[in-house]
Amino acid sequence: MADLETLKKAVEAGKRKDAEAAATAALAAGVAPGDLVSKALIPAMASVGEKFQKGEAFVPEMLVSAKAMKAAMEIIRPKLVGTSYQPLGKIIIGTVRGDLHDIGKNLVKMMMEGAGFEVVDLGVNVEPEKFVEAVKQHSPQVLAMSALLTTTMLSMPETIKALKGAGLREKVKVIIGGAPITDSFSKEIGADGYKPDAFSAATLAKELVGKK
Amino acid sequence: MSGGDIRVTLQPFGTVFHMPAGHSLADHLIVHGVEFPCGGRGRCRGCRVRVLEGSLQETPADSAQLKSGELRAGWRLACQARPESDVTIELRQWTALILADDTEFPFIPGEGLGIAVDVGTTTLVAQILDLSSARILGTETALNPQARFGADVMSRIGASADSASAGRMRTVVRDAIAGMVTKLCSRVQAKSRVVRASIVGNTAMHHFFLGFPLEPLAAYPFTPKHLEGVDLTGSELGWTGPAASASARFLPNLGGFVGSDILGVILATGLHRAAAGTAAGGADLGTNGEIIFTSRGAITVASTAAGPAFEGARISQGMRAAPGAIDRVVIEEGKMVAHVIGGMEAGGICGSGLVDAVACGLEAGLIEPSGLLPAGKLPVRGEVALTRQDIREVQLAKGAIAAGIVILMREMGIVEADLAAFHLAGAFGNSLDIGNSRRIGLLSFPADKVKPAGNAALLGAKMTLFMPDGGRKACEDIISRVRHVSLETSPDFQDLFAEKMAFPEGG
Repeated sequence: MADLETLKKAVEAGKRKDAEAAATAALAAGVAPGDLVSKALIPAMASVGEKFQKGEAFVPEMLVSAKAMKAAMEIIRPKLVGTSYQPLGKIIIGTVRGDLHDIGKNLVKMMMEGAGFEVVDLGVNVEPEKFVEAVKQHSPQVLAMSALLTTTMLSMPETIKALKGAGLREKVKVIIGGAPITDSFSKEIGADGYKPDAFSAATLAKELVGKK
Repeated sequence: MSGGDIRVTLQPFGTVFHMPAGHSLADHLIVHGVEFPCGGRGRCRGCRVRVLEGSLQETPADSAQLKSGELRAGWRLACQARPESDVTIELRQWTALILADDTEFPFIPGEGLGIAVDVGTTTLVAQILDLSSARILGTETALNPQARFGADVMSRIGASADSASAGRMRTVVRDAIAGMVTKLCSRVQAKSRVVRASIVGNTAMHHFFLGFPLEPLAAYPFTPKHLEGVDLTGSELGWTGPAASASARFLPNLGGFVGSDILGVILATGLHRAAAGTAAGGADLGTNGEIIFTSRGAITVASTAAGPAFEGARISQGMRAAPGAIDRVVIEEGKMVAHVIGGMEAGGICGSGLVDAVACGLEAGLIEPSGLLPAGKLPVRGEVALTRQDIREVQLAKGAIAAGIVILMREMGIVEADLAAFHLAGAFGNSLDIGNSRRIGLLSFPADKVKPAGNAALLGAKMTLFMPDGGRKACEDIISRVRHVSLETSPDFQDLFAEKMAFPEGG
């Protein structure tokens, strides 16, 4: 459908105003709001994410596409109330204690929202206790932690320990990422997974909540 | 000696080497620590040498840069020289005053010898000087052995979490420097004592060298507890013979990760003495990408943690500027032509070559402004090519520096038109082609405002050897006027960083 295609292309190209206009026009034309999300926004972000993974798109492209998608979602979201549209799940994300890097974490958040998740962003420099509180409060399916420094990644096992202490470890899947993180570190600390880029992190989250 | 080889003698200390006749003298001088501020392009006077025996042809660049009296006296630019027969030359950098031509400072001749050390994250440099004449008598360089614990500062901090590891970090760097000092003393057959030494390095290097705990630098807010300079004797540092009784001083830090090396840069470039009503800036484009701006007497500094891409690390075939490295690339008749240090097969590409190659790729339309490399590979010369990921690494590094420059200038309320000069320090800053650095969006200042500053950190350290109080007062004055800015906490940084990753459109 033309309206869906227009919106998809606008998000892929990172054109915020075009995306807003396309979303408004599509809603006015009677396109189901849920379809706009699942058939235009989500595939658009998936295609940008794949290009990023292949090295064909880079951080600036991801950021402008995510901004365009966010702008379109602002218009679509109120119309989703009362429809059968459900996000895939809820994810809590944050950069660990002592660490301020957030570009990578924000890219992951964008790809997860782009995949249809609801994401609660705790920001940067997040203490283990704050992650645990957020898990208690929001009951997410996934907790995603990011660290960019070899010195700060050590608060990840601390957070997992704190989750166990609070009796919450079994209730949430924990995934981790960031430049110094490796698969073996992830296994060593008992996380549920690690991915090296935002697109595959979002795909992993989907798998962990049982969706493909 | 094969047919066609000539013999070159370097004064003042009589080093002799052989090279093929007609080859570039510059390539052979790089390994002896000679600096080429404009990157060997014949656009400055920094590499000039004086012929003592034999001859070097006068080139157009010589005539352009040197006065007729100098030419008659035998001065030539080393970067242009291609000796055809045996020659003995005296290196200007090691005979004249240790300063750039126009800098003044209260030079008080002393007795004995002095040592200056630049403890770089990647490279250690040490020089020994005659304090009565300011002549440099010898230079030693070495890779910082801490590198085996990590190429970047954060990895080394992470690797030194326990006291045994931290002790190891301290020992390996002190041992390396003690070894360099021994070599310098024996090279000059030191008959007098090494009286004093000045040591500079970034805050992490300072902490490792002096044994201060690294925890405060390991996480936000990255505020070091120890900014102070520290005095030690040569023997405490493991120095022997004529250097054992030296009074050594590791100069103080400026704030955050910005250390005494940048203090040295400020002293050497005279940024702290910028004329009233003018603004000036500088950058040390090593691993940590420090930036400095001064305006109305205030000085602001920041480090961008740009990463070691410009020093050859994280680039698939990256290497340091050494024989075998592609250090310059131009387009001739529509094709990329690369120069290799030492004139041999290309084994890799160093920082200046990387910037050139990306600029040429952009000009040739092989790299898009977004950084996309449709062909997947950009062949430069022989087996050396850039990959898609290499281009992305360049985007990250130059985006961080470019964003840092914008933020600092905003902090200080400076616009480009205000800037009298922008000094480029560090070995990479040295050989950078300004036009190409503009082409890729690393710098946006006009070429006539960008001044190559060589190893300004080391020069600043040397200057303190000649100040009556070892430079304490000068350093304190600068420190009182310096404000350290933490770029990570700036709210604009992320968007600006992403914006600056793209390459400028051609035109």
